[in-house]
Amino acid sequence: MTTSPTLSLADAPRRARRPSTSLLTRRRRRVGVLLTVPAFVLVGLLIVYPIGQAIYYSMTYWDGLTTTWVGPSTWWQALNNPTMWRALENNALLLLSVPFALAIPLAVAVMLHQRVAGWKVFRSIYFLPTAISWVVIGLVAEHFFAYSGTLNSLLGHVGLSHVHTDMLGSESTALIALGITFVFSTIGTNTMIFLTGLATLDTSLEEAARIDGAGSWRIFRHITLPHLSRFIQLAFVMTVISAFSALFSLIFVMTGGGPGYSTTTMEFLVYQTGFNQSQFGTAALYGLILFFITAVVGIVQLRLIGAKD
Amino acid sequence: MSTVVAPSTMRVTSARRRTVTRAAIFVAMVIMAIVMLYPFFVMLIDSFKTENQYLAGHGTSTQSWHQLTTTMPVYQQLLNSTIVCTASIAIILVVGVMAGFAFAKLQYRFGNLVFLGMVSAMMVPLQAILIPEYVNVAKFGLTNGYLGAVLVYAALGTPFAIFLFTTYFRRVPDELIEAGICDGLGYWGVLWRLALPMALPAIATVTVLQFIQIWDDLLVGLLFLQNPAERPITVGLAALAAGRTTSIPQLMAGSLVSALPAMIVYLGFQRFLVRGLTLGIDR
Repeated sequence: MTTSPTLSLADAPRRARRPSTSLLTRRRRRVGVLLTVPAFVLVGLLIVYPIGQAIYYSMTYWDGLTTTWVGPSTWWQALNNPTMWRALENNALLLLSVPFALAIPLAVAVMLHQRVAGWKVFRSIYFLPTAISWVVIGLVAEHFFAYSGTLNSLLGHVGLSHVHTDMLGSESTALIALGITFVFSTIGTNTMIFLTGLATLDTSLEEAARIDGAGSWRIFRHITLPHLSRFIQLAFVMTVISAFSALFSLIFVMTGGGPGYSTTTMEFLVYQTGFNQSQFGTAALYGLILFFITAVVGIVQLRLIGAKD
Repeated sequence: MSTVVAPSTMRVTSARRRTVTRAAIFVAMVIMAIVMLYPFFVMLIDSFKTENQYLAGHGTSTQSWHQLTTTMPVYQQLLNSTIVCTASIAIILVVGVMAGFAFAKLQYRFGNLVFLGMVSAMMVPLQAILIPEYVNVAKFGLTNGYLGAVLVYAALGTPFAIFLFTTYFRRVPDELIEAGICDGLGYWGVLWRLALPMALPAIATVTVLQFIQIWDDLLVGLLFLQNPAERPITVGLAALAAGRTTSIPQLMAGSLVSALPAMIVYLGFQRFLVRGLTLGIDR
């Protein structure tokens, strides 16, 4: 701002005609605004506006037909609802699978990076499940874990036929089966991320360390792993967000949230509450809680990335 | 003499150890490959059985494949998936390219703020806004017909597309755009004739990522396409599975059919997928 402090209203038009906002600049800005309008409308109406609506809905009692304004006290009711805490607990337990969802792909990526015979074929094979729907993976997993499924016949083959599992049918093990399927489903994507990271690694550093007599494990621990830290962060955040918001298909196909509420996560609870029990207000509230959790994870990620750039 | 022999034996043992290590890695990779291919084995083998053969554990038959079309309107559902994918991706590309170009090259007041808002929208999971979204779409009667689902998919995919296109268009030199304007192309001409060809890899990445995402999705199709005749194949499959009455061999045949298009796209355009996934950290 170079205008004098004695700026009066009469100066305003002259200010608009400053040489810096030339005809061309103004045209550029106008085109810029015009080109963003469709995206702005689309994202604004279908993603941003519903967040506001969800806040309003969350404070109403709504059975699908009539809406009654209740106010913020709905939040206290929800926070006292044991089902919601059960869902959050299930989410927390599922997070225990995240270390596996990172460690296995890391090992796979390091092996691929050794470029033994046929590594490109192996790479394609490992990524292939990434292309198929989690609906399909869930269907296959359901029949793997089923009472008359592959897991039990495998156990039978190794002489453990007396151990007859029914992982999806039991409250204590259904979540474990879901977690294993989740880890399987994330292997492709995470391996892809780590492999890209390894490709940017300067091999001369490894060579130098090897000549200096460092063993494979020390090279991995002190050179490879620190180099991959950003890629591990990315994979970590993506996996955590998936654990909160991408399991719907698996749960829908494998367990339907059961037995009981043993595999109902927050995202599935939103669906169940809204579309099975027609409690739209409560469901909107659960959605907001889910949003809050993923937003915190996302902000942490942005800060991590921002700190590096 | 000994000083000569010692290093050479060392080299021999270290070479042998290297061979052993590489062989071990190869074996581990084969085992891993079997694990990762397991779903495909299951789908292939079990779909070529009758229900009794499946329960007995042996025998093959093409019966499930013959009956598949009566259990599941496969062709219609494949067509539905294709329509929904194509329309959504078309909207995402057009809207995303225009906005990306504007954010990268046509700076206007608050433009950066709007860009930041758009990128943040990437973080909103659909489940968080599922209820109001459904209410709004239903209010306009859009849960019948493809439009509702298409708009939801387009809105969900647009933020990432904008992010990708903005990153790409930032590489286009300002001089090129100014030259285009001076030549009388206008901003539209510059966008379509100069900038767009440079963004072709980004267009491919968005297309492939979104195709797999939308083709494989369940939640949007399940809620926003209420008319069973308009169901995409993934939704049709999940609905069949939820019914728990369909024979497993037929479900496996249906799974394979539904998985095939996304697999083909994936195998053909693998490199665009990798680029999209790691963009933002790999620079």
